[in-house]
Amino acid sequence: MNYQWDFQTVWENFDVLWIGLIGTLKIFSVTVVLGLFGGLIVGMGRYARPIWIRGPASIFVEFFRNTPVLVQIIWFYFALPILVPINVSPFLAAVLGISLNTAAFSAEIYRGGIQSIEPGQWEAAKAIGMNYAQTMRRIILPQAIKRMLPPLTNRGIEAFKMSTLASVVAYVETLNQAKLIASLNFNPIETYSVVAFAFFVILYPLVQATYVLERMFGKSD
Amino acid sequence: MHQWDFSPVFSNLDFLLLGLYHTFLVTALALSFGIPIGLALALCRLSRFRLVSGVATFIIEFFRTTPPLVQLFWFFFALPILIDVRMTPFVASVATFSIQSSAFFAEIFRGGINSIERGQWEAAKAIGMSYRQSLRRIILPQAVKRMIPAFLERSIELLKTTTLISTVSYADLMFQANELAQKTFRPLEVYTVVALMYFFLIFGFSYASIHVERFLAKSGESTMR
Repeated sequence: MNYQWDFQTVWENFDVLWIGLIGTLKIFSVTVVLGLFGGLIVGMGRYARPIWIRGPASIFVEFFRNTPVLVQIIWFYFALPILVPINVSPFLAAVLGISLNTAAFSAEIYRGGIQSIEPGQWEAAKAIGMNYAQTMRRIILPQAIKRMLPPLTNRGIEAFKMSTLASVVAYVETLNQAKLIASLNFNPIETYSVVAFAFFVILYPLVQATYVLERMFGKSD
Repeated sequence: MHQWDFSPVFSNLDFLLLGLYHTFLVTALALSFGIPIGLALALCRLSRFRLVSGVATFIIEFFRTTPPLVQLFWFFFALPILIDVRMTPFVASVATFSIQSSAFFAEIFRGGINSIERGQWEAAKAIGMSYRQSLRRIILPQAVKRMIPAFLERSIELLKTTTLISTVSYADLMFQANELAQKTFRPLEVYTVVALMYFFLIFGFSYASIHVERFLAKSGESTMR
């Protein structure tokens, strides 16, 4: 237990970590936007009546919810380029894996949120002459979004944590840069400790925010 | 167009099944350590002593909010230097996922215990039970039943997360798939088969857990929303 901690070498390489952090934020913002938006479309698809929309949407959701993200990323990186003649970069593979996974999980949140609204609301809207799109936009979504916001924020946090998996296909993000620093300076303890704390410091306020959201909307419901 | 050929995958199926066995082994060990540690953390967090509950809260929040891959790297590369032990990929994987899942289990335990009405504690006290007795005889038996759905969900999540151990070269299903893909030059077939293996496995578990959930919901005991 007489290890001499020395954070000097980590601070000296802070710019390397900084590049990684920007990579993490880049992949996070792309996957969150694609994932939450894609999830809305798939969620609506799962709610649709025609089986040729509902069926594929359900298969998509079940498949991506029930396979590990790492398997998806590796599949997109190594297997997809054989199937279609495109060059899959580490960034593209990670974005595909994480955003499709986020889409599948958030689709269920949207569906659950919409289904949790009482049927009476639909009937009342229909009674005063609104069509499906109007009812959805004016009556159902404004109420459902309140219930969906806390779990969706949670999904965002999950997506942020998942972004570290991009390091497996050598995308330049925080963990990948940490690996580089640790192997060049022989300081894995300090580097990985700093990275772990960095993630904690970034995500903890977000986690607290979901608690606040839950309490706020829990009261008003 | 690519010529599909699954024969290299199926002739090496035992190689993949060995990986699957290792995946289950780590999951099972992480569960059997994670659940008791989770209970201990939950009880500490509910403790009246500020220091105990503070430390437990910090541990729980820390392991819930940092990426599991970072934790795994820390346990594998950093811990051995700190405490001077030889860390094998296996030990690092089990240690990481025991502690990581215990943080999530702690929150499930806490939710379950908190969901039991105060009257139950008071009634137990009134007939002369100590804190430990009422916890063991009255509170936990009721709480555990409510926790089962959340608990199953977490275990499935754990099974999915164990794919990360392939990055520290532990021979789980994912790692074996990487090896096989390199050896046979058939990444498309290998990864597709492995993805489907994971899918049917996890889908089977999820499907079973939905039935358990419905069954428990009927008897009115569930903390799942």
